[in-house]
Amino acid sequence: MMFKRHLAALSLAALMIVAPLAGCGSKDSSTSTKTEDASSSTTTTTNTDSSSNTTTDDSTKKLTGDFEIQYFVGGYGDKWWKKVIADFKAANPDLNVKESGGPKINDQMKPRWVGGNPPDFVYIDGPNLNDRQMVEDGQLEDLTDWMKDATNIDGTKISDILAQPPQLFDGKVYDIPLVLNSWGVFWDKALFQEKGWEEPKDWQSFLSVSDKIKAAGVTPFIHTGKYPYYINGAILYPAIVSANNNDISILQDMADSKVEAFQQPAVLTALNKIVELRDKGFIDKASIQINHTDSQMLFLQHKDAFIPNGLWLPNEMAKDVPGGFSFGFIPSVTQDSGGKVVANTSTANVAIAKNAKNKEAAKAFLQFIFSEAQASQWAELSGAPSNIKGDISSSSAPSHVKDAARYLTDSNTVVVPSITFNADVDKAMQDATDALTIGKITPEEWVQRVVDVAKKVKK
Amino acid sequence: MKLGTNAWQRNLFIATFIIPTFLFFCVFTVYPVLQAMYYSLYDWSGSSDNKTFIGLDNFKEMLHDPIIWIGMGNDYFLVAGKIIGIMILATFFAVALTRFKFRLANFFRSIFFIPNVISVVVIGVLWNFIYNPQIGFLNSFLSLFTKDKVDITWLGFTSHTIWMLLPPAIWAGIGFYMILLIAAIQGIPESYYEASSLEGAGQWHQFRHITLPLIWEQMKVSILNIMMTTLNGSFVIVMIMTNGGPDNTTQVMGSYLYQMAFTQYHFGYGAAIGVLILVLSMITTVILQRLMRQETIEIS
Repeated sequence: MMFKRHLAALSLAALMIVAPLAGCGSKDSSTSTKTEDASSSTTTTTNTDSSSNTTTDDSTKKLTGDFEIQYFVGGYGDKWWKKVIADFKAANPDLNVKESGGPKINDQMKPRWVGGNPPDFVYIDGPNLNDRQMVEDGQLEDLTDWMKDATNIDGTKISDILAQPPQLFDGKVYDIPLVLNSWGVFWDKALFQEKGWEEPKDWQSFLSVSDKIKAAGVTPFIHTGKYPYYINGAILYPAIVSANNNDISILQDMADSKVEAFQQPAVLTALNKIVELRDKGFIDKASIQINHTDSQMLFLQHKDAFIPNGLWLPNEMAKDVPGGFSFGFIPSVTQDSGGKVVANTSTANVAIAKNAKNKEAAKAFLQFIFSEAQASQWAELSGAPSNIKGDISSSSAPSHVKDAARYLTDSNTVVVPSITFNADVDKAMQDATDALTIGKITPEEWVQRVVDVAKKVKK
Repeated sequence: MKLGTNAWQRNLFIATFIIPTFLFFCVFTVYPVLQAMYYSLYDWSGSSDNKTFIGLDNFKEMLHDPIIWIGMGNDYFLVAGKIIGIMILATFFAVALTRFKFRLANFFRSIFFIPNVISVVVIGVLWNFIYNPQIGFLNSFLSLFTKDKVDITWLGFTSHTIWMLLPPAIWAGIGFYMILLIAAIQGIPESYYEASSLEGAGQWHQFRHITLPLIWEQMKVSILNIMMTTLNGSFVIVMIMTNGGPDNTTQVMGSYLYQMAFTQYHFGYGAAIGVLILVLSMITTVILQRLMRQETIEIS
């Protein structure tokens, strides 16, 4: 009896100690196989630097090993990614392509970037992935030399066919814009026609039609106060450029957190335009507390006439767009009459990880996707313009995409290349703009706040 | 100590329970806390593979960061508001459902508990809808009594927006503490109440002199628990409902931690905020326990 109890206690003890360890053990073994995988792939792929001699014969070179692509799935969907990856696989049967995609992929992959085991190729889009930060963290491969004479699979020089050149970080190229998006103001063409409202061309016509809209009982303007970068991107930044004689360098200086840039009179002029909208009662009071989806719903329901947004809007809301709704789009409304339209573009970029294990395949993939065939496929499958020059007027892309493409190629448009602000400065500007729209601060206080943050960042 | 003796067996038996628990505690609590403390001494973006040791600079910077102070103020506002709101209502409901015998008591007990079963995320979304200025329930309801349509932006005031987060937080919390107090009240022998009513004590007297002293221990636990869950968890409701805005007026320490660590790429600073939350939670627990120290009256 005694012995039995003894045995029971012992076995219970053994079980309870071993059980949790079993979990650890299996975890350990899985990670160790992963590292083995990684090391084997580094050994099988030859890491010859093919930066200068990449020509058309590159496509005939056999790509082997593993190749991992990280892509965020948001407003543009993932149809194109699935298609292009399938095409690339077909062209390179010996390459084991692994895709890591999804709406939360940026967060999911973060531990791997931190741990020095990133995917080979990354599409930088969506929340919590900021190319400026990735460059500062030394996560991205320097593509400056490669870009100089890289050609795509058709043999065309890539830098020649890009609508927007890559953003320079200290004069260097780390990522290449794949998607060309423009911020701007949307309205419903059908509604405007029905009510006899003129479509806005500049600030004056925007204000006068807003007066009419308000008199008709519709709120002229709604934005998302939860994400104030929408109103900043579509109203404030174009207004700053217009007020700065269409000189875009001011935004680039702001992106470099140069304090003097924020103190330019153009910034105040632009901020006062938002104040004007506010004081005339054009901004829907609901804006401040709602998210982008709610603001877009109210816009689609004709509760509001204008919405600042990006070109992904129609695709994002595709399921909720009422019948007969026809998206009108202009990149900016803040220019004086006769002034140039300012298109503040935001590109979604692609890059190669500095610690990529298969850089050769990643570069080949770049050459593969920056082709005209993939560009028109992108416009069709994702409903947004790609960053590759080309006439899409005959393609089956939606009409607002064609409108936007027309603006972006018009000589009377100032095209602002994609700009990434420092995250702290960006947040300060967003908070300050929100505070400005509800009358909590003055434009001067906006400047003061942002200047304080920029000073701290520059330190 | 000889193998097989009673003492040895007893110790072995205790060890089987303590050691695995302790190991889990170390791996999942002690280790992350130590790691957070370690990171709080670094300037690290959170996505880079190199970090710089900066000593206590993150903590020094906090002193000059106005949003930290806003967050702390909001956190303690929510703690105070929730303790008062939840304790009053939960006690009220618990007494009502146990001491006043009425037919639907069981039904109401379930109804009041429902918010506890719903995830905080759903509660946030639900209340967002209630507060929606254009299509929300609250404005539509108020519009019944006014000539013009009410269009108050409940979550968009220039200040004090944090007040609007109190009703959902209280609403979500009542059920659990109500059940806790109901259990405590049901543990009080009925004879106490009978005796007191024979002596002529009314409901209020019974509540004040019998119920309250005998459930004080549970109330103490409830208050401490509300305090701790609020300091550590009000982040969820803030993120869902206001994202800390407008203009950081509803930021709590937890949401600011997330903001700093993951959106503004200051992971070290975020970790330092985490350490601050930990320290404040501990200090507050000690202070509250001292304040509520009252001789526990036990049912004999």
